[in-house]
Amino acid sequence: MRCARLAAALLLAVVAVTATSVRSAADPPPRELLVFAAASLTDALVEIGAAFEGREDVRVLFSFGGSNALARQVLAGAPADLFVSANLDRMDELERAGLVRPEDRVELLSNRLAVVVSARSTLSVSSPVDLERARRLALGDPEAVPAGIYARRWLEARGLWAGLRERVIPTLDVRAALGAVESGSADAAIVYRTDAALSGRVRVEFEIPPEQTPGIVYPASVLASSTSVHARLFLIYLQSREAHAVFTRLGFEPLEGS
Amino acid sequence: MTAPAVEIDLTLSAPGFVLRVATRIPNGVTAVMGPSGAGKTSLLEAMAGLRRGVRGRLVLGSQVALDSARGINLAPERRRVGYVPQDAGLFPHLSVLGNVRFGARADAAAVDAAIDTLEIRPLLARSTLALSGGERQRVALARALATQPRLLLLDEPMAALDPGLRDRVLPWLLRVRDEWALPCLYVTHNVGEALAVASHMVVLDNGGLEAEGDPRSLLSAPVVVGEAQAGIENILSARIVAHDATGGTTRVRTDAGLDVSVTLAADRPVGAPVTLAVRAEDVLVCGAPAFPEGISARNVYPSSIVMLERTGPDVTLRGSLGEDRGELLARVTPAAVTALSLAVGKTVWLAIKSHSIRLG
Amino acid sequence: MGLEEIRIVAFTVEMALLATALVLVPGVAAAFFLARYRGPGKGALDTVLSLPLVLPPTVVGFLLLELLGRNRPLGAWLAQHGIEIVFTWKAVVLATAVMSFPLLVRSARTAFEEVDPRLVGLARTLGAGPFAAFFRVALPLAWRGVLAGAVLAFSRALGEFGATIMIAGNIPGRTQTLALAIFHDVQVGRDDRAVGLAAVTVGLAFAALWTTEWIAVRRRLRRDET
Repeated sequence: MRCARLAAALLLAVVAVTATSVRSAADPPPRELLVFAAASLTDALVEIGAAFEGREDVRVLFSFGGSNALARQVLAGAPADLFVSANLDRMDELERAGLVRPEDRVELLSNRLAVVVSARSTLSVSSPVDLERARRLALGDPEAVPAGIYARRWLEARGLWAGLRERVIPTLDVRAALGAVESGSADAAIVYRTDAALSGRVRVEFEIPPEQTPGIVYPASVLASSTSVHARLFLIYLQSREAHAVFTRLGFEPLEGS
Repeated sequence: MTAPAVEIDLTLSAPGFVLRVATRIPNGVTAVMGPSGAGKTSLLEAMAGLRRGVRGRLVLGSQVALDSARGINLAPERRRVGYVPQDAGLFPHLSVLGNVRFGARADAAAVDAAIDTLEIRPLLARSTLALSGGERQRVALARALATQPRLLLLDEPMAALDPGLRDRVLPWLLRVRDEWALPCLYVTHNVGEALAVASHMVVLDNGGLEAEGDPRSLLSAPVVVGEAQAGIENILSARIVAHDATGGTTRVRTDAGLDVSVTLAADRPVGAPVTLAVRAEDVLVCGAPAFPEGISARNVYPSSIVMLERTGPDVTLRGSLGEDRGELLARVTPAAVTALSLAVGKTVWLAIKSHSIRLG
Repeated sequence: MGLEEIRIVAFTVEMALLATALVLVPGVAAAFFLARYRGPGKGALDTVLSLPLVLPPTVVGFLLLELLGRNRPLGAWLAQHGIEIVFTWKAVVLATAVMSFPLLVRSARTAFEEVDPRLVGLARTLGAGPFAAFFRVALPLAWRGVLAGAVLAFSRALGEFGATIMIAGNIPGRTQTLALAIFHDVQVGRDDRAVGLAAVTVGLAFAALWTTEWIAVRRRLRRDET
């Protein structure tokens, strides 16, 4: 009888140990940096991150997605070290919640929107009103994703939103909107020109002049809860000449930050 | 006077059923009888500690197993009560030896003693699935005994066995009774078993104690228990005299010297003691002055009526079989009394079929 | 399939194993209790424990987030004490464990219900305490069903998506399981990789379910013996 009780305790102990401490050995080592960044920055940051890894003894992990989703995750406690958002609102939100210190913020980049269609498509969109020829228009979710919000504001300013909103396919981030056109799920999409440039399967029909859109700004910041010494270093590196060169090559517009 | 082996004062409340039993059980085997639903199994389970909602007092020898007033309620594993259910309840994933050894307190000596008493040593390596009904019961008994319990509870241990087999398990039961000095509660529907094994008896009905006492006297006085009548009016002690295989009968002689022919019981040795039980309803009365030829009953005795009494819708007749040869009770209808002109003092023949006699 | 893909598969399997280990003891205990208890509140408990089976996984994930997010009382308390759960591998284990738990309970409970209920009581009269009776009688007789439940829970854990993405996010290298990776790949048009990962997922699920079937057949055979 006693040995049965002992067996029970042992089993419980084994399970408890297995479930926690064994895996805790795989908890992020101190020399790892977790960067949450807008989806449109995927290619640029991967390249810059690799260069940074070459200089410093640190591994840079990225989580790319809609800035809104990432911001919510940070608010809920995600252990990110840096956040680069595609619009100011999300960064402001984090600052209001005390997760970002105003002095740590930098306005890093700007970008431009572009209307794309599938490379094989015969659809021609030479002016905004031609968008009405598209049966389905993919946007980053116009209620939450920065690219979608920018696109909607532009459409609203042009008086086209009311007519087009029924045909909008909202995606989780701007890269998914691009993917929708690539796969043929949508006839057209409004994405950043930097996204369009990377894809061989889409054709830019026209670029939206910056004066017609609300200012597109990508703020970046170290998160107040970060304990990584490399976080600040990476933020500085993002503003370096090497990083600017990468951004520029891919079509971004580096801003004069701090 | 020795203290009672077991003191019971239990109340069990369950949805739709209340059991209330207060009695004292002496050492030895106590038969528990009563109709289905009377609460016999519930009583056993309550005593083993397997039921919730039991209040009262239960004392096993020197150990207080339950005393609600003092907040004592021992868990089953601490009560030292051996329980053998109706279908043995052997653990299918263990061998016979594994089953017998299962009990925590089963030290090697007790295990050996139990195996020897029940003579199951040849069965030890077998799987429980390869046992006959009687063997299963013996293993279950050995398993309970190996834990050296203070009280043994047997719930109709032979109910699931063929009548032929029943007699083969009985000797081991008697051995247990004789070799292990334990109080034992033995639930049964079978009067013969009760008479053979028990020295004390309690009768339950509707969750309460209906009667208690010596088995023979309880069974001789018809105890109307609920809807079933647990009355056996004629109980005789006898010994086996001879077997007649061809004729299909066994001859026995009662202690009073009466020769009786019963159905063949070849497995009982000559000279062995046996108890005969016959219901009053099964005794035929023949009023003819001459010996009734040509009837199938093998047991026909001249008798003089010493009592004739109205009992409910029937008439009970008591007939003397002669000097020191005992009496027999018979039950007849008032119409028969009139037709045969039965009266005290009249000589009649009493006839009993061999099949109506139950051996205990 | 490159190194990164192999890492995703290994991570997914590891998380599923941990989740199964986590639910094993509470699941078996709950199953045994539900199989034997006949008192008030049993139906309510059974319903609550079965909820993750019926609720949309995203709802379960949302509820977990409401419970453990940093901006909620419990989450804040945990954060204060240096315990990080959301958006880490621990959240993956938690989400998959919660979704798998009812599957284990159901299967194990059926197995315990198939055990003759009086045998445990008999074991008690023979001197075994509650734990001993469970480990020496109930569990040995029900182990096949318990095992089948564990394998089923593991299978479910392999494919968990909705709750996981809510509370663990889709962080490559930290919380990205097969299901999350496939979702993301399809979103961004990396169909080639998605197809490969999906094939692996189907293979794993097939192997796990086939094992469950095999155990069930053995159980039936054994039951017909007795």
